[in-house]
Amino acid sequence: MNTQGNIVSAESAFAQKSEMDLIKAVQEGDKKAYQKLYQTYIGQVYGLCFRLTSDKSLAEDAAQEVFIQLWRKIGNFKGDSKFSTWLHTVTSNITISYLRKQRGWVQRMFNIEDSEAMNFSADQGTDLSELEAHVARLPERARIVFVLHAIEGYRHEDIADMMKMAVGSSKAQFHRAKQLLKEWMGYE
Amino acid sequence: MSNNEFEKELRAQIDALEKQKQPERDLWSGIEITLSKEQQETRETPNKQRTKVFALAASMAFVGILSWFGLNQSTPNFNGQDLVAALSSQHQQQKNALLVKFQDQPALTENWQSQLTELDEAAVAIKAALKQDPNNMALLKMLQRVHQQQIDLIERVHSPKWQQI
Repeated sequence: MNTQGNIVSAESAFAQKSEMDLIKAVQEGDKKAYQKLYQTYIGQVYGLCFRLTSDKSLAEDAAQEVFIQLWRKIGNFKGDSKFSTWLHTVTSNITISYLRKQRGWVQRMFNIEDSEAMNFSADQGTDLSELEAHVARLPERARIVFVLHAIEGYRHEDIADMMKMAVGSSKAQFHRAKQLLKEWMGYE
Repeated sequence: MSNNEFEKELRAQIDALEKQKQPERDLWSGIEITLSKEQQETRETPNKQRTKVFALAASMAFVGILSWFGLNQSTPNFNGQDLVAALSSQHQQQKNALLVKFQDQPALTENWQSQLTELDEAAVAIKAALKQDPNNMALLKMLQRVHQQQIDLIERVHSPKWQQI
């Protein structure tokens, strides 16, 4: 048991060290290392982008944007937290800002409301789980708050900060999302 | 059905979600091209920087002209056509300067001049519409976009960066 524990922690320490070496190489401008980092984290980044946007094409564009901006920002990573945690926050912030730009454009062009504007991407194929399909139907702000709080584990204070809204609004959007999910899942 | 059951079901579905997903298309190639372009721009020649300064000056002139237009919209004897003329003249100067600058440089595509002519025709059509509706800001912005497209086209087909890609 003890031996196993030691092996696991040794492996994890080795993985962390090689990841730090990789990050250091990226910070020094090594593009091959960056491609390796991309391959390691694209699943995590795209997964989060998809949950936040509920749209394959938007999620792909947002994930691309994340890796373009990450190249510029990676110098800010000092290793105080786990890289995956830091990247998670960077991804959330960039995707929210990307969505904000998209929404601005869609709303300016077609003059439509948030609740309608964001339902256009709801039916995107059959490879979604039941919950993902319901989340895709949520209005944009309610969806982002629900994903960040219920799925990704952010506090309302952090979400409010990311989305430039009051803490109370974040809680209200979360409540709205849950009420809609409750109804769609047949509990009301 | 109770709220507890819903919460339990919701939690179960959240826990069952796949946290990682793979995109359907390859995103790396687009990222790599963007990063290479950025790196190349940081090593850009003073010549390119001069072009940028010139473009910035042109944009500022456009903003200045538009502001002047906005301030003077209430003036009864102001003619919206004056603005179109000012924009066209300023654009022509910028275009000519670029054409002179790139005259000895090979272009990336052969049909860039016909593309330039097409954009010229678009500008003529917009100017014709502006004659009917001289104070239409949307048309003015459209004209400015077409002008900008011409500048971008001339720069792109003569830029070494695009030739490498």
